This record gives sequence, C-alpha cells and structure tokens, in this order.
Amino acid sequence: MSAPHTESAPRQGDQVLGPRAGRWATPALAVGVLGLAAALGLGWQRGDGFSRLQHSWLVACAFFLTLSLGGLFFVIIQHLTRAGWSVVVRRVAELVAANTAVVALLFAPLVLGVLLSNDGLYPWADAERVHGNPLLSAKAAFLDPRFFAARCIVYFAVWWLLGRWLLARSTEQDRVSGPEPTLALERRSAPAMAAFALSLNFAGFDLIMSVNPTWYSTIFGVYIFGGSVMSFFAAAVLALRFLQSRGFLTREVSVEHYHDLGKFLFAFVFFWGYIAFSQFMLIWYADLPEETFWFKTRMEGPWAAVSWVLLFGHFVLPFLGLLSRHAKRRLALLTLWAVWLLAMHAVDLFWLVMPSAETSGVLVSPMDLASFAAVGGFWIFSLLRLARGRSLLPVGDPRLPQSLAFENF
Amino acid sequence: MAERATNTGAGELHALLAEFDDVDAVSGAARALRDAGYRRFEVYSPFPIHGIERSMGLSPTRLPWIALGAGLTGTSLALFFQWWTNAVDYPFKISGKPLFGIPANIPVTFEFTVLLASFGAFFGMLILNRLPEHHRPVFENPRFRRATDDGFFLAVEVDDPRFDPRATRALLEQHTRRPLEECRDSGQTRELPGSVRAALVSVAALGLLPLAGVVWARSQDSSRPPIHVVNDMDSQPRYRAQAANPVFSDGRAMRSDALGTQAFGELPRPGTITTGKQGDAWTESFPVPVTPAFLARGRERFAIYCTPCHGQSGYGDGLVALRAAELQEQNWVQPSSLHDPLVRARPVGQLFDTVVNGVRTMPAYGRQIPREDAWAVVAYVRALQRSQNAAQADVPPTERAKLGAQ
Repeated sequence: MSAPHTESAPRQGDQVLGPRAGRWATPALAVGVLGLAAALGLGWQRGDGFSRLQHSWLVACAFFLTLSLGGLFFVIIQHLTRAGWSVVVRRVAELVAANTAVVALLFAPLVLGVLLSNDGLYPWADAERVHGNPLLSAKAAFLDPRFFAARCIVYFAVWWLLGRWLLARSTEQDRVSGPEPTLALERRSAPAMAAFALSLNFAGFDLIMSVNPTWYSTIFGVYIFGGSVMSFFAAAVLALRFLQSRGFLTREVSVEHYHDLGKFLFAFVFFWGYIAFSQFMLIWYADLPEETFWFKTRMEGPWAAVSWVLLFGHFVLPFLGLLSRHAKRRLALLTLWAVWLLAMHAVDLFWLVMPSAETSGVLVSPMDLASFAAVGGFWIFSLLRLARGRSLLPVGDPRLPQSLAFENF
Repeated sequence: MAERATNTGAGELHALLAEFDDVDAVSGAARALRDAGYRRFEVYSPFPIHGIERSMGLSPTRLPWIALGAGLTGTSLALFFQWWTNAVDYPFKISGKPLFGIPANIPVTFEFTVLLASFGAFFGMLILNRLPEHHRPVFENPRFRRATDDGFFLAVEVDDPRFDPRATRALLEQHTRRPLEECRDSGQTRELPGSVRAALVSVAALGLLPLAGVVWARSQDSSRPPIHVVNDMDSQPRYRAQAANPVFSDGRAMRSDALGTQAFGELPRPGTITTGKQGDAWTESFPVPVTPAFLARGRERFAIYCTPCHGQSGYGDGLVALRAAELQEQNWVQPSSLHDPLVRARPVGQLFDTVVNGVRTMPAYGRQIPREDAWAVVAYVRALQRSQNAAQADVPPTERAKLGAQ
C-alpha cells in the first residue's frame, strides 16, 4: 500500500452543491410539470380510461425507483462489508437511495386506481373478472386491492426509512469525530439487507409481475434486482462524470473508483443475463402453457424484435464491451456504456410491462416519453433538493483516506 | 549498525540481494534499476505493494488474453460437442423436438467456458511466473527469511545483461545503508529432491492405470454383461408393456385414464368430431375438411405416436415390435398391419375411435393426441393404405409415362 495522500483533508464546504442545486432543480421541475401535463393530456385524448397511460407511468416509476433501490443495495452492502474503496462515491449513492419518497408520491395514483377497482393496469383489481377466472380467484387473497395498497405502503416505508437513515447517520459522521455513526451503520446493515431483499422481491411481484396476474415466475424479483443494481451503477458513473465536469469531487474520485464501478456494472450486466436466461430456460424447457404464454407474446410477432434487442443490447454487447480492463478505465467509453445500459434498462422495463397494453405491435407512444419526462423531472428535482445542503463527500468517514488512496492492482 | 553480510554459497554468483527499510526505499531502488535499463531483478516484500509493477517497469500481463482464449475455446468446444453428439453422431428423436436447441445447451456451455477460462487463468499464471519453482539461491540467505515478515528485498540477477558486479553494487548502495548480500549457487540443486520426484512419478503412473484398464477392456471380446458401477435405473421393479397386473380387476398393467379425464385445452364437443359416430353407426366421412396441410399434420403426428409400433409404412413392423420379437416377449401381441383387408374395410369413425380409446392391447391415445389431430392421423392412415394398395390406374396420366419409362 502506498502512503495515504498527505495533502490536507478536503473541507466540508468544498463539496456542497448549494445554490447550484437550485439552478439545476428549476428546469428539472419544469420538465416534470410539463411532462405530467402532456402525459395526462395524451392519456385523456386516448379515451381508454387511462389504461395505456397507467402502463407508461408504471414503466417510468419503475425505472427511477429501481435506480434508487440499486443505490440502496450498494450503500447497504458497502457498510456490510466495511468497504474502504467506495467512500468517495458513497454519498452520491446515499442521495440516490434516499430519493424514494418522490416515487411513492408519483406511484400513489396507480394504487388509488386499484383501490377504486380500476383494472386499466392490474386486471385483478376488478372483482368480477377475478370471480370469473379460476386462475385469478385462487390468488384473490393475495391480489386483493386493500392488501396490495397496504403492501405498497410497507415497501415504500421500508425504502424511505432505510434510505433516510443511511443518509442521516452518514452525514452525522461528517460532523462528529468518533466512529460511532459508522459503527452503527455497519451493525445494522445486516437486518437492513434482509428488509431490502424481501421488500424488493415482493415489490417486483406486486408492481410489475401482477400486470400479468395469471403468469408466475419465482425468480422474477431477482430479475428486477439484477436490472435495478445494474442501472444504479450506470447512473452512478453518469452522476459522477456530471459532478466532476462541474468541478466537484475532481481530486477525490479517480479512474480507480470508476474502474471499480465499471467492474460492478460489468458484473451486473452478466448477473442480469444469467437471471434472465435462468428464468427463460426453465419455462422454455418445462413447456407448460400457463407459463410459456408470457414468453410467447414476447418471442413471436412484433415483440420478438425487442427481445432480440435485449439479448444483444442488454447482455451480449455490453458483456463483450466491458470485459476488458481498458474499457472500464477509459472514461469516455465507460460513460458511453453507462448511457447505453440505462437505455437498455428502460427497454427492459418497457418489455416487461407493455406487451399487456400493446398487443398489436411495439408502439412507443408520446405518452411513454411524457411519463418518463414527468417522473424523471420530479425525481431529479427531489434528488437535487436532497443534495443541496449536504456535502457530496463523506468528509468524516474513518475510511476516507483509504478510499482516497485506493488503487486497483 | 553492526550488520554484516552473511554471503552464502561458494559457487558462481547468482544474484545481488539488497535489503531496504520500507516500501518507499525498495520502490525507489526498483525505479532506479528500471531507469538504468535492468530487466532481470525481483522485489520481495511481506505484502503486495501498490504500483510496484510500474516501479519495476514490468509490462502489462498477457494473462487476460490467455483466459479469454481459453474461455472462448471452452464455449466453442462445448457447443461443438453437444451439437455433434445430439445432432450428428447419435440423433435421438423425441416427440418431434429439434435435435439441437441452443437454450438447452447454454448451461453446459456456460460451465465449460468458466472452467476453461479459470484453467487458463490459473495455469497461465503459473506458466507466466515460471512456477512452481522449487529453489532459488536467495532462499539460502538467513536474512532473506524476513521477506515473509517485515523485510523488503531486491535481488538483481547476474544474467541481467546490464549486470556489472561493481556498478550494480554501487547503484544499490545509493538506496540502502544495509550491507548487500552476494547469493551464490551452493550446489544445492534447483531440481526437486529424489524422493519428491519418485512420489510424483508414481502418482502419475497410478493415474494412468484407469486409462490402461479402459484400453485393455476395449481390446478384449467378452460375452459377459457390463459391470454396473452405478445402478441408476438399469434394473427396477416395473411392468413390461402389455403385462398383466393382479392389483386391478381388469388385470391391465397399462392403465387408461380415469373416467372424465380431459386433455389440457380440450373441452368435450358433442357430435361426430368427438365420438366418430353418426347416430349409432361409425361415420364413413371426415367431420373436418381434409386438406394437404391437414394430411401433413397427420403424417407428422403418425410419425411421432404410431410408428414405434406400427412402423413407418404401417405394416406393424415398428422398432418396438421388432425389439419385442427379438427378445421373444411372452405376452407381446404383434401390432396390426394397417393394410390388413379387415382394417382397410373399417369406417374412418372406427379408426378414429381406435386412436382415441385404444383397442385390445393398443393403449388409448386420446390423452396425448387432441381430437382434430386424431382425425388428421386417420386421414393419413387412409392415404397410407391407398399408397400400399394402388393400381396403375391410380397414377395421374402425366406421371404414368414415367412409370413406363422405368
């Protein structure tokens, strides 16, 4: 190990967005409001009881929610393993992870629709339809609107509390001199990880898989997890590149940290592919009609092209592209892959949800873009509000010197 | 500092060994040697030193390429072997499934890729590092033992083209105050001790025994049954086809479906299409339109379900029947030839009923074959019967000329 940097530790004031956050937040809010208005207008114009819009909205909410949940996973696992290398990038992850309340608010209308028996998105919300279908009535006890709403409240509460707690103890460590906050984070991250794993798994079943309520795949939650963590690492690379281009964390975050984020990105590209194939192969091999129909709609007709895009765009090409050490250390290339993989994550969620609404063809509606802009605008606005007064570097973390001096072999 | 060199060995000089107080000192010496153009020198330290490969001027390792090459070899070998065994060397048709389906072969391909890539990385690392290396003269120096504890060492080997006894010593002395050590070959051989070599040779020889056994067995003729090391399901208590079972009152071991069983996706439809009857009599005509596509479907289903017993052309000479005859099975009843005048005379409705509900020792196929497919099979059976009992007049006039020519 080479000697830690001897230069003076960065002061807290250096790495605070401050008023700049407000300058970036206003356009984000404007995009959000405009996107919301456009989405509502387009949804109204379509005249299908907002059914198509609900699908778009779910995809957009799921995209930004999975970014936050991937961040949550990253932060918890860093404390769990007492990781040293990641301290300089951890605050950005903590901010992303703590930013789930806004998604809860944006997702609430869909839950409200379920409570009002609107089956535009979740077919099981309609009691009559459930009664007429033995496959659905067998699941009626679980896919019950009030139980669903209660579960959603629990999920978002768990995520919000975890995210805020991780952020609060970490910023507390910025101020105090002893290592107590860090030790508390390390002690409690094991139960936090259990809570995260259960909530993400069941939320995957509830929010996304139940769009096709007769279909089931026990690995589905893990599939969502894989895409979620992958998208977080892509977003983290982009966020850090943006912050560095604006003069933040320029000395602290080095190519060594990007290299490690790139390794994680590569690992979760592969993990996603591994889980996606595991899910596909068991169903393909068993060949049971009650399971295969879900893939049949995605492998035949217009959706087949999207499946091929996912196979190559979400797995094969980025796997080969990120395999080399040089690709992970060449920041322009890594950034390109991060953008590409975020786009693929959006395609993945679109592919999961949208075949239920668009049976005749793959149609990207302006509604999808408007929903994406709306949720994204509000999400970034809320993220910047969270970040505004906080240091972007955990300046008091006992492992900060280790992270600053980090080098890959 | 009363430290003195403990120069070891009496033979030729092998290396000049220097000890340093800390990481920075040894790295500095490595940089100095690198800049002076030295290539064959080694740094020893109790823990990995970040950036030492740059200080020593080592070029990036080729190991990733070896691992990648080995991994790709694994991918292609696994795919090739699976394709060769399943689709070429021993094609095994099961229910019309493709002989080679990529998804089913991915797990083996994946595991083999990982296996060979790991082998490539592990053995490649050993080979690139020229390991395992049994002995180096520096090991004999008593001070060198601290390399596993708190000592930082650097050894310049004499085969470095830049090595010069005096100049190299002067260069190293600029970086450390400790006395340099001359490591000489003590005559202790670099080769493995005889006992270790003998043990390795015997293990290798023992390892060849199974192979020798296989070769020996392959060269012998034997009429004894093979030894079943793993019994798996080679012999198991079970009823042979068409055997009697005293548990059931009808004595049949091959059970038919429970009353009222419906195939998945097949709801009972009233009328000829389900029963094969018109009124009380077997129907003489098909209740579904007979098209070329329908006949092709019937041919495909016939190949899957009927040929094992009835044979490709319907003479009752399928592989199962041939095998039963070869084994001289006591209870075996020869399947009917479909070209028997009795069978040819049966109305299509009765043939349909035979397919769906079975007859005598032929089991019912209603569970495996949906009703429409059963009609397709019957249509194909009719075509088959006609093909085997055709007169010259049945051949279209345009084709008849060719018959004459032959």
